[in-house]
Amino acid sequence: MSVEDRREAREKANGTFTSEDQETRRRETLPVDPYTGEELAPRPQPGYYPGYDTLSQQAYWDEATRNVVLDRVHNVPPIRFFTGDEIPFMQAVVDCIIPQDDRTKDKRIPVLNYVDRRLYINEIDGYRFESMPPDQEAFRLGIRGIEAIAQHMYQRRFIDLGRHEQETVLKTLHDGKPPAGDDIWKRMSVHHFWMLLVQDCAEAYYAHPWAWDEIGFGGPAYPRGYMRLEHGQPEPWEAEEVRYAWEPPRDSPSSEYEPLIGGTGDHSVQTPGQSGTH
Amino acid sequence: MKKPLFGAFTAPHDDAHHLGPMQKVETPMHHFGPGEEVDFVIVGVGSAGGVLLQRLARAGFRVIGFDAGPFWDTERDWVSDESGSHKLYWNDLRITGGSEPITLGENNSGKGVGGGSVHWAGFTPRFHPSDFSVYTDTGLGADWPISYEDLKPYYEMMETEIPVSGPAYYPWGDPHGYMYGSHPIGGVASALIKGCTKLGIPVVAGGPVAITAGSFDNRPHCIYRGFCLQGCKVGAKQSTLVSHVPDAIRHGAEVRANCMVARINMGKDGHATGVTYFDEQMHEQEQRAKAIIVSGYAIETPRLLLNSACTGFEQGLANSSGMVGKYLMVQAGNVILGRFDEPVRMYKAPPANALTEEFYETDPHRDFVRGFAIQTVGPLPIAFAKQMMSAKGAWGWGLRQLMMDYNHWAAFGFLGEILPWEDNRVGLAEEKDQYGLPVAKVTFGLHDNDRKLIKFGVAKTMEVMSAAGAEEVVQEARYAHLVGGARMGNDPRTSVVDKFGRSHDIPNLFVCDGSILPTQGSANPGLTIQALAARTADYIIDRGMSVVDRSKTFVGVPPIRYDLAPAGIAGRGMPRIKSRTPRTKIGLGGLAPGGAGLK
Repeated sequence: MSVEDRREAREKANGTFTSEDQETRRRETLPVDPYTGEELAPRPQPGYYPGYDTLSQQAYWDEATRNVVLDRVHNVPPIRFFTGDEIPFMQAVVDCIIPQDDRTKDKRIPVLNYVDRRLYINEIDGYRFESMPPDQEAFRLGIRGIEAIAQHMYQRRFIDLGRHEQETVLKTLHDGKPPAGDDIWKRMSVHHFWMLLVQDCAEAYYAHPWAWDEIGFGGPAYPRGYMRLEHGQPEPWEAEEVRYAWEPPRDSPSSEYEPLIGGTGDHSVQTPGQSGTH
Repeated sequence: MKKPLFGAFTAPHDDAHHLGPMQKVETPMHHFGPGEEVDFVIVGVGSAGGVLLQRLARAGFRVIGFDAGPFWDTERDWVSDESGSHKLYWNDLRITGGSEPITLGENNSGKGVGGGSVHWAGFTPRFHPSDFSVYTDTGLGADWPISYEDLKPYYEMMETEIPVSGPAYYPWGDPHGYMYGSHPIGGVASALIKGCTKLGIPVVAGGPVAITAGSFDNRPHCIYRGFCLQGCKVGAKQSTLVSHVPDAIRHGAEVRANCMVARINMGKDGHATGVTYFDEQMHEQEQRAKAIIVSGYAIETPRLLLNSACTGFEQGLANSSGMVGKYLMVQAGNVILGRFDEPVRMYKAPPANALTEEFYETDPHRDFVRGFAIQTVGPLPIAFAKQMMSAKGAWGWGLRQLMMDYNHWAAFGFLGEILPWEDNRVGLAEEKDQYGLPVAKVTFGLHDNDRKLIKFGVAKTMEVMSAAGAEEVVQEARYAHLVGGARMGNDPRTSVVDKFGRSHDIPNLFVCDGSILPTQGSANPGLTIQALAARTADYIIDRGMSVVDRSKTFVGVPPIRYDLAPAGIAGRGMPRIKSRTPRTKIGLGGLAPGGAGLK
């Protein structure tokens, strides 16, 4: 049985397989068990905190916070900034930046909708790097740049590439060495566009309570607060960690940790939208 | 569900304006009428503006504090959520450039009453005595026109008013102790203590931090939920919004929120006459005042002075020296992240939880001057994801996998002194904001001493993280805080304001905020900014409205007005100062320090 067949059989058994998903499925890649080499079936909740559910604690949150978080979960904003072909294109990009193939379809976080929302309502971070156009223009230029790289590397449209190839295209931006689209990269910094893209996707994903469940984050904590501060102990309503071994899909270009151009510790390539610290 | 002691699970169903779960603005706020001239307009009700507003109102002046952002009702407006707190920051456009540009917004810029103190972590170390003579000592940077001794009583005063919780003995700079006890520590502070101890580096824990350990007047104690940077809904962490603004309103001050000051207007006699601002409905309005205090922080203060250029002041106000906007500073704030085998859960406890200033001073054995501090920080998931994007180049599957280990990471904040350089500056860009005003253009780059200091300090911080037991240690380059841009000095040719914050050029124009700092040390600037505000207030109160008269020169030191602290302050100032402070005969009632004070 091939990997593909196995997956299909498993998805049928799980009831998650539908025929109209075939086109999407073609590009999906699943994490693997490093010991057996088998693909791991999508789960409703990946991560090491099985059964942990921040939303189950919502009665203990203050109302203002509860409204904001529930709104995020239940009132997903429509796509309004991206139009036409940009939508499937950006969906493919976002699926590479924050892959969710390991999540069952009903538990995937609508990352693109929140990336789109920010651009649509022009919620900027309070500054723009001199080397960058406005965020909206940056995304539109970025789409053209990514397409140019895809054509250059594979002579095909980005949207028609397999996941691995798409990741390979995007990796050239991560590395700061796009092999095509010079006219685009003259108009904006590759580093800063890359960081803008990744941070927007990361913010959309890790703002969602399902992502908190995945990573074991306590979520909103007012007015109850925390009692167990030391030694990483969970509160009574938090979960103990239960680890399992998994590896990203084989040869996934995004599974390697490679420093950005300039290396780490370079003040010239800080991320836009940087959070506060000290 | 039973109501908790502090706060509630449901929104408050009353008409009151809530500042934390216990405190309300009880008195109706006074509103000055249209066309009415006031004594002082303060532009920006942040760390400095909040203190000034409270002091001047208590002393009986007619004063309005303008803020471009909202007057928060913390129970209704703030959330215990990272992504939902975006509105706390200055999100209007600025342009940032230079060889190593500064990030702004969430990292260092507040908007709304309370300003940056709403989202600071709350570390409140004092500057060291050496900070005030950096140029004399090292040949680099600048000297202050005042000494540590000038500011010390105000440090002590603000530590009581904020109040600062911290260790009984704090060994660095001018060694001192804190009146209010330290906080319990979380996993990150635990790691810093362990790492420092292994390497023989002295370290303190549980403060100094602007967070109440026990309940304080009408502010509850800390609940250790870790959302300090998202605005403290608890009201335990100080912002001037909860510590000083209520008292200001009680004493007749007006807070004019959601009002963006566009320019300071000048009269024919070389005095400022008031401000032009955009009200909540974006209508242009004027407010006349006998004196103006600009407290807009290091970007907006220079921007306002430059945007106020007019006939006779073509280069902007208070800028005959050409120094407005120059010598802008940030501290190197690299975050050093370590992965531990055992869980840490760094989202618990205040991010500002332990620190060492052992490397603060110039060490002649190193190839750079000045130094750095190592502090705890506590990034929440989104902040951590962004750090990992930068520190490890993480994205895609790698980012997802790494984030599943969020609970295994601890983070230290390196805090390195960057010296003031003339080419690091705030100017005006061609772009305009929603009011049609030119936005700030910030240019920043590192110099040789800065680079050497960062290299050494980051390596040392990584060493501490390893010594704490981290199996993997990485770092993200970043800056923290903002100061400078309208520096104080004795020489009008090389500075913008004098040692009390009065501009050299315009007698009734003051600047009082982080922008007047000539150097910054490697201490978080919040406490120093508030201390300087209290000092400027004492100067103004002592001189009364004759302060606007250029011909009346002032020599000496204004009396310290312990009696003007907000109600509910323990001892109304540090009791131990009582013996060496003369009984003041000036001001309202001439109250002794530590006395009952005004009601």
